[in-house]
Parts: sequence; C-alpha cells; structure tokens
Amino acid sequence: MPVNHLGYRPWKAKLTSALTRWWCISASGISLAQKSALVKRMLFAAWLPVLYWGVGFFFVGQAMEGKVDLLPPSLQNQINSVANKMSSEDRDRLRAAKSGPNRIAVAALLKQQFKRIPQVNQLADNLLEGDESSSRNRVWCWLMMSFFRYPQGLMILFLVGAITPSLISRDIRSRAFLLYFSRPISKTEYILGKFFIPATFIALVTTLPAIGLYLFGVLMSPDLSVVTSTWDVPLRIIVGTVVLTVPTVSVALMFSSLTQESRFASFSWFAFFAIGHAAWLAVVFGYAFRNGRAMPFDMSLMEEPSVKLWGLLSLFNNIGEVQGWVFGFSPFSDAWPGMLVLLLITVFSLVVIYRQISSPMRV
Amino acid sequence: MQPLISLRSLVKNYRDHRALDGVDLDVMPGITGLLGPNGAGKSSLIKAILGLVSITSGTGTVLGHRLAVDGKKIRNDIGYMPEDDCYIPGMTGVEVVHFAASLSGLPKVEGMRRSHEILDFCDMKQERYRAIETYSTGMRQKVKFAAAIVHDPKFLILDEPTSGLDPEEREALLQRISVLCVEAGKSALLSTHILPDVQSVCDQVVILSNGQVRLNNSLAELNRIQVPTVEISVDRVTGGFMKRLEERSLEVSTLDNGNIEVTGESLETLTSELWRVADASSTMILALKPAMNSLESIFMKTVIEANTPSPEAADAR
Repeated sequence: MPVNHLGYRPWKAKLTSALTRWWCISASGISLAQKSALVKRMLFAAWLPVLYWGVGFFFVGQAMEGKVDLLPPSLQNQINSVANKMSSEDRDRLRAAKSGPNRIAVAALLKQQFKRIPQVNQLADNLLEGDESSSRNRVWCWLMMSFFRYPQGLMILFLVGAITPSLISRDIRSRAFLLYFSRPISKTEYILGKFFIPATFIALVTTLPAIGLYLFGVLMSPDLSVVTSTWDVPLRIIVGTVVLTVPTVSVALMFSSLTQESRFASFSWFAFFAIGHAAWLAVVFGYAFRNGRAMPFDMSLMEEPSVKLWGLLSLFNNIGEVQGWVFGFSPFSDAWPGMLVLLLITVFSLVVIYRQISSPMRV
Repeated sequence: MQPLISLRSLVKNYRDHRALDGVDLDVMPGITGLLGPNGAGKSSLIKAILGLVSITSGTGTVLGHRLAVDGKKIRNDIGYMPEDDCYIPGMTGVEVVHFAASLSGLPKVEGMRRSHEILDFCDMKQERYRAIETYSTGMRQKVKFAAAIVHDPKFLILDEPTSGLDPEEREALLQRISVLCVEAGKSALLSTHILPDVQSVCDQVVILSNGQVRLNNSLAELNRIQVPTVEISVDRVTGGFMKRLEERSLEVSTLDNGNIEVTGESLETLTSELWRVADASSTMILALKPAMNSLESIFMKTVIEANTPSPEAADAR
C-alpha cells in the first residue's frame, strides 16, 4: 500500500474558469512537443537568423543616424561607391529630397544590391523622399517582413511539419479523444487547444524574436522618440504572425485529423506546401525563359498579372502577399486574392477537422 | 427517491441503423448494472447520456441537467471510464490523471496533489511515473479509473471496468467501486458483460436489447424466486431421501454444483418437511438457504424474449 494512502476523500474547491480550459490541452501538448530533440534543434536553428537581422538593425540604424564611421570599413566603402554610382535620376531625386546623405547612401545600396526586388525599390524610394521618422518606420517594417518571409517562413514549414501532424492523428489512434470529450470540453475548445500548440512554437520563433529585434532597434536609437514613429511595427508583427500561423496550422491540423498515422499527415503537409509552390515556380520560370528574363532572373515579372495569378497556388506566396500588405509594402488590391485563398483554406480545414473529430464518436 | 438519470422515448439513429429505440429509463441512486448483448445499444446510451452524440429524439435529465442541452454540465458531474484504452502516448500515468483533472477544472497544483491521492487510492505505486504505453492492461485500467474519479464526480459511468483484470485486481476494483458508492455517497452505472460483477456490487439492473430497455428492476427483487424454493446441500444424496421428498409432492431437482433445489407450497412447511425427511432417511443437511434466481438465467431469459418475435409479428410475416 502506498505510504500516503488516505483512502478516498471528497474534493471541493474553486474550479478554474471554463473559458480557459482549452489551454490545458495546449499546455500538455507543448510540454510533450518540447520533449522532442528534433523540435529543440529546430527551435535553436530558428533563432539563428535573429543574429543576422540584429546586425542588420544595427547597421541600418547607425547609417541612418549618420554614424557611418561606426560601420565596418568594407561596408563604408561599399556605401560610398554605390552612392557615387547612383543613376542621374536618383541624383536628381536626391537633390530635390530632404534626405540626409547617409540615408541616401543606404537607399543607393539597397537599389544596387536588390534592384530586382520591387519592394526594396519602394523602400529605397521612401528613404530618398521620406522624412527620417517615416524612413525608419519603412526600414524596420521591411526588415521585419523579410525576417517573417524568408528565414522564418521556411522554418515554419519544418516546425509545423514536425509538431502538428501527430496532434490529432495520435488522439484518434490511441482513442484519447474519449479522455477529452468525456470532460467538460467542447469540440471547438479541443480544436483551439490543439491549434495553440504549434501556434505557440510559431510565436516563439517569429513574434518573440521580432519583438526582440524591435526593442533592440529602439534601444539602438538616439532617443525613445522613435517609438512614436514606429509604434505600429509591433502591431504589424502580431498581425503578420497571425497571417503566418492561422492557415498553416489549420491545414496541418486538417491533415492530422484525416489519418491515424502521423507520418501520412507529415507527408501530406510537406507535399501540399511543396507541390503548390513548385507549380507556381514552374509557371514563373517558364514565363521568364519564354520572355528571356530568366538569366539574370527578373523578380519584377512576378508582379505581372498573368504570372501573379498562378501565385495563388502557393501557400507560401499567398502568405507573403498578405504579409506584404500587413507590413505596408503592397496595396490591399494586391493582397486580397491571397487573403481570400488563405481564408478559404482555413475555413475548409476547420470544417474538415470538426467533422473528423466528431466521427470517432459515431459508434 | 428521485432518479438520477431519467430518459423518455430516447431514440438515436446512425443513418439507417437505430441504436436506441425509444429508451425509457430511470436510474436510481446506488450502483446500476447495465447489461445487454453486443450491439444492444449500451455504448450509444452512455454516449447519449454524456452528450457525446446528438440524440435523434427524446428527452431526459441527467443529474438535474437537460440531456442534449447541458452536455458540459453533465460531463462536469460525471466521471467516465471508457472501455477502450484512451491515453496520450508519451505521458506518464500521473500526468494522464493530472491532465484529466485539469480538463475538469482542477487548478494545476491542487490537481497534481489530488492525482497522487487518487492514484494512491487505486493502489498505483512508483509505476505512476512510467510512460503509460509501457503499462499492463491492469495498470491502464487503474489509470483510467483514477482519471474518472479524480475530479470527485457525483456519478460514475464505468464501461467494462474489470475487463482484462486478473481475479485479484478485479476484486480490488469492485471493492473500490463499493467504497465510492457506499462510503462516499456516489452512484454508478456499470456497463459490463461480466454478470458476477453485477451480482456482487449492483443494486439495480438494466438490461438493454435491440436498443430498448427490456428489464429495469432492483437486483434483490430480480433474485427473489416467486414460488417458495430452497437450496440445500447434504452430506450424501441417497435414493431414500429423494424418494421421500417426491412422495410429499415436493418438486426436486439436482443443481450443477451438487446441491438440491426443492420447491413447495410455503417456505415454512417446506423447511419443516425437509428436516423431517432428512431425519427419517438419516441424511445430514449441511446448508439450507432460500434459492435465488441467477442473474445469468434472468439475463438469458430477457434477451431471448426480446429476440423472439411477438405472435402478431409472426402472424404478419
């Protein structure tokens, strides 16, 4: 008999709020997921780009504050040489603009290095023409958007693929759904609880470092008045996280609910992501080759209507389009088709999940 | 006494299949055994009570809450132990119970304390810290039982709780159920195929067949034989003893266990006749007790009757 055997004793105390009970599901799922060595490694890898972006924040901040001397000599030389090579059109705009020489140099550098990326051109124009506070806002938004889009957007593919596929399939296989649904938990709360397991990990590798970068940027600024010109950046970060999280997690959970085998759900998730994106890239490159714009690849052709339409096939591209609008680099008219596709994918996924988790209850 | 569960004309259809066909049922406080052959509708009835499946028609109340409307309130007051294994791989036994406690609203720290207390009650020792997928069937049953009672529910629904247990563990689990219901004032619905389990702990018996309640009565009442009958065991059965009993117009039959069942007009005259015959034939009566209807015979009779078409139906065919 156990040492502390007290027999059966009635229990009476204040229960936790029914509104937050779904979080138990999330908390236990997070606790289980973080035991995985693979997930731990992914989290570590997902934080590495923060260092790179942190350096970017530092250099851009220093350059904009006129402290080019603090930059490494090689970068100073590059900025000066690019500024000297500016086009006559940009030189004219430079004369007309109120921009300081260092911001102009940064703009020139951006135009030189990333001239085929439309959003960077837009950013560089803003640096040339805008005032200092609006320029800082644009630069930070661009850094955040690129952080969300490239390293983290791809990392999410793997992180969601590692965590989510087992979440519902495992419950169906082990019949653990009876453990949930014989409690005062609704199907909606179950889905919400499951949803926030990968969502928490996504927030850990996107929202948290992005907010950290923002705070780093504020601290690197001459005074705290930069907060007044960049107050919207944290909000954009949060909305950007939502745009990244909701469709990806919904789709991955849907695949998880369709099978008892987590590996099939994993495969479906990667296939869904890869096939859609590969189909779009095939269209883009086919168009580029046909029009002789493949070598060097002209990214601006992605904005052409006949190509852009095919981008709706790619989850990654749709998320990017909507994030472009969220961070203020695309008009709503460019973002709404992608937004609609993401919305449809999300709603469809949630309906399938709801049906699937109801079906084991049918004897 | 108010019934804890009261169901009226409950119907549950799964597409073309009718799982529950107008169930009218009152479950009184105490332990109720839910019996029925496979496919009788026991699982559907339990799921309907818990609000896990939507009912097609009918009304009812469960612990004062409206059926199919107050599902969460019902599940808050009920502890359910499913027949199937249901666990989350990767969790230890104590984590599963703690998780169940959290889902029922126990605060984190208190939930863990309570989980340990309940696992102690269930006689789970250090194995509670092992991953649950490494457990034997008996250990998993204990964890499921602990998870069902950790939030101190008013009513327990236990689906095949002793399935897969060895005799010692089975006895211990039935003992725990009795403790909960007799000492802690809880009530339980025990769905099982093991009739001796029902015989040993239940107060009331419900037999379902073809989605309908065929029998609902107290076990004591069901066990009582309508005509006066006693069961005796004697040191040796002699031809003279049996012949003398038959000469006195008593119905005599020998049971499988070697005992003799004797039926007479009244219990008093029957007993005195038996002693007289034993004396006359030099037979020693070792035990004498009123005979009971066995649950097995009640069950078989009820199920066979339920599956026998009525004369009207036979005529129509």
